[in-house]
Amino acid sequence: MKKHSRNLLSKSAALSLSMVIGLVAWAGSANPAQAADQVTLLETGSTLLYPLFNLWVPDYTRANPGVRITTQGTGSGTGIAQAVSGVAQIGASDAYMSDQQMKQNPDIMNIPLAISAQTVNYNIPGLNRVHLRLNGPVLAGIYSGAIQYWDNAKIKALNEHLKLPHKKIIPVHRTDGSGDTFIFSQYLSFSTPSWNDSTGYGTTISWPAVQGGIGALGNPGMVQASQTNLYSIAYIGVSFHAQIESAGLGTAVLENRAGRFVLPTPRTVTAAAHELLSKTPTDERLSLIFAPGAESYPIINYEYAIVSKRQASPEVAAAMRKFMLWAIDLKGGNSAHYLNEVRFIPLPASVSELSRKQIAQIQ
Amino acid sequence: MRVRPIRIFVILVASLIPITLAAIFIFLTLYSWPAIQFNGVHFLFGRIWDLGNLYRNPVMVHGTSVPLGANYGILVFIVGTLATSFIALLLSLPISLLVAMFLAEGVQEQFRPALSLVVELLASVPSVVYGLWGYAVLIPFVEHFLGPALASVAGFIPFFSGPVSSGYGLLTASLVLAIMTVPIITSTVYSGLIRVPREIKEATFALGATRFEVVRKVMLPSVRKNVIGAVILGLGRALGETMAVLMVSGGALNYLPGTIYSPITTMAAFIVSQLDSALQDPTGMAVHSLAEIALVLLMIAVLVNIVARALTGGQGHVAYG
Amino acid sequence: MASLTSRALRRRVYSAVGWVLCTFAFALVAFPLFDILVLVFRRGASAISPGLFTQVTNGISGGLLNAIEGTLVLSGGSLLFAVPIGVIAGIYLSEYGHGMFGKVVRFLCDVLTGVPSIVLGYFAYVTMVVELGWQFSALAGAITLAIMIVPYIARFSELELSQIPYSLREAGYALGMKERTVIARILFPIAWPGILTGILLALAISVGETAPLIYTAGWSNYMWNGHLTKEPIGYLTYVIWSFINQPFASAHALAFAAAFLVVFTVLLINVGARLLVKRRHYYE
Repeated sequence: MKKHSRNLLSKSAALSLSMVIGLVAWAGSANPAQAADQVTLLETGSTLLYPLFNLWVPDYTRANPGVRITTQGTGSGTGIAQAVSGVAQIGASDAYMSDQQMKQNPDIMNIPLAISAQTVNYNIPGLNRVHLRLNGPVLAGIYSGAIQYWDNAKIKALNEHLKLPHKKIIPVHRTDGSGDTFIFSQYLSFSTPSWNDSTGYGTTISWPAVQGGIGALGNPGMVQASQTNLYSIAYIGVSFHAQIESAGLGTAVLENRAGRFVLPTPRTVTAAAHELLSKTPTDERLSLIFAPGAESYPIINYEYAIVSKRQASPEVAAAMRKFMLWAIDLKGGNSAHYLNEVRFIPLPASVSELSRKQIAQIQ
Repeated sequence: MRVRPIRIFVILVASLIPITLAAIFIFLTLYSWPAIQFNGVHFLFGRIWDLGNLYRNPVMVHGTSVPLGANYGILVFIVGTLATSFIALLLSLPISLLVAMFLAEGVQEQFRPALSLVVELLASVPSVVYGLWGYAVLIPFVEHFLGPALASVAGFIPFFSGPVSSGYGLLTASLVLAIMTVPIITSTVYSGLIRVPREIKEATFALGATRFEVVRKVMLPSVRKNVIGAVILGLGRALGETMAVLMVSGGALNYLPGTIYSPITTMAAFIVSQLDSALQDPTGMAVHSLAEIALVLLMIAVLVNIVARALTGGQGHVAYG
Repeated sequence: MASLTSRALRRRVYSAVGWVLCTFAFALVAFPLFDILVLVFRRGASAISPGLFTQVTNGISGGLLNAIEGTLVLSGGSLLFAVPIGVIAGIYLSEYGHGMFGKVVRFLCDVLTGVPSIVLGYFAYVTMVVELGWQFSALAGAITLAIMIVPYIARFSELELSQIPYSLREAGYALGMKERTVIARILFPIAWPGILTGILLALAISVGETAPLIYTAGWSNYMWNGHLTKEPIGYLTYVIWSFINQPFASAHALAFAAAFLVVFTVLLINVGARLLVKRRHYYE
């Protein structure tokens, strides 16, 4: 009797095993090696651009069945490195490449695809519905530990009509290498010379040791950390506006280069972009942080696709050009339909033209 | 003695393991060599980790090209790694032993497969999910309940004194690591406990021992080698864990933890979080320094294993009688 | 019946307290598991539908078919490498590994568990993905996972085999069996249930890994086309890690659904293996 049931068990095991193998084999064969005219593109990099790519790719590949695009959100540095080594065709990055990196890789182009922005958020009971006024030097003071309490004289000076509590500020920063840290620290560097000299900017910086400061992982981590810690302050990418709202965090108005305090709205972000149009060089490597102009929001940046001028084959190059031209087209990837979901703004016409010129160089 | 083919075959296959580890060690050493030369001993004792200004042109320091202001010191991470692993094992070992005892002798045989499945499922939870649960559930728990409770009870010891500030820190990271190592230790010890010969149990009962005493005084000591082997495996897991720790540890940079509630960073988690930025360093020194961290971690694992074996009189290996 | 001496009473009380502690420990350990399962199920529930198993990931939503297939391929592939090497290494360690070389192998095996998965991933990236030119590939991913789990399988096998009393081996030799027959026909069938536990534990660990695969298997939005190299492949943990970081609710739900699937798959494998292999107590 026992032997019978053992036999039955091993028979059913063998049966299920062969079923699984059959299933996998069928799944594999149902997708044969790509047809001769099908191209596969790999995109990897910035986690800020990743959501936008994920909105683009399904629609684009549906309309263009000859190309398969896989997206990955790994980080700007990985995007650059893998675009340079050729493992990925499109590297997404929030940061343009440095002069040294361009010297080492003359075949690589930085092509802006859209413009993103960043908010500074805080969690102060009673004040989250009010827009606190903050500026670069004050933020630099908070993140360096020089300003410790919310009712510090410098913050009070900017917000005379508000009652600020005597509570310690908890500055939250990103632990992972991130484009958000890059643009936030650029804002601090450009507006505050002492920060520029001591800490500087980058996707990762040597954050000064602040009592009670927290490192969080990813933008959701930033939202979570601010939400669970009263009296905290954090910098969060604008595509997370929905999370920020449902977490009930307050959004700061930031002082721009002209001395005005502005909220990140499409109008202020576009104004900042327009101010720097003339300064954008042909290789399009430019920081948009702390732009001049009365209406400009100070923390905005180009989102770049890092691509090589030389591609593996003419088919791949053609597929890339087609995709990227679609991406920067106001009726394609740069239309409100996609950008509004992530609260990015489209490229201004002259920048779009520069991008077009760079895209044409992909061979 | 005539050399048997089975022995040769088995030895060859088994040596793939040391070969792999040697390959990793050689890779790490070669890859981090420029950093080893640049950083020197200061690497181990320096508190500041600074990638330098990646956007200015690199400068030449002692003959190597590095970013301006680059300064690599990993004392903070070494302390974080050792502290979390040590506290995690301190917490998980007694609990694992109790659970193993519970499973082996505390429940009737028909319930054992189901209940031991619970423990094994804990091992199957991806570390990312542990991190998510950690920051959704454990951190508020530590911040509002466990931390203040601990501080009020043990607050006279400086290490346990408040303030608790946020829930991100050494305590939470150690708790998560403890939960992750429990299945490994429990499975190994349980496996040994159920193999204890019946005669030994019967003899102990015959001496008038209670059921609990049978387990605690006779069965557990007889599986000592299992326990030691399990602790070493669990320690390995704790040292190498990245994602879960990264999400709850608070990401300390440039300062050492003062209390059990302070944020910390472990070496493995740091490598994960920094690799992307390091790739942006055109001189490559940042990636080399990360490889050096990995090398140091490897050596710490070796050291810890040596110490564990020395403390237990080399009983980690098996000699059957 | 004579009344209990105070010492006997004390021992009884201690024992009772001991069992209470054990039960409490088990509850302490079971609670996080259930809490995690509830959390994952609650947040992933909105994404669970038949479509999950029939569609591929598509941007921020869609299904998980490509990820499920990828996880099966990668973990299955890693077992293909790790089980033979691990079990044979375990045999070596328990049967022949008492000398210096055995000590070295055992030691290095334990050290290997302490190597962070990201280091293995980067090592594999530099050697296999870039140097060998495999690009993102299923083979690179499977090999990396195998390196991660081999030590667990080897140590479990060793512990299992070593607990079999020597007398059984002697009996085999007395009957004139060769070494390999003793190992295959006597030791293996007895140790197999315990070794299987080790393999399942290793499988569980491999299914839950993310960091090493990001640099070796890459990620693919499409089904695997059967190529071992030069073709990236998807896996469930990538969905968990990446989609959680996106601002879209549909992505979050998918991430939690993937987490649920991971745990559920391991549960299924565990239960299935249990049904197949009954633990044998060779004393009974």
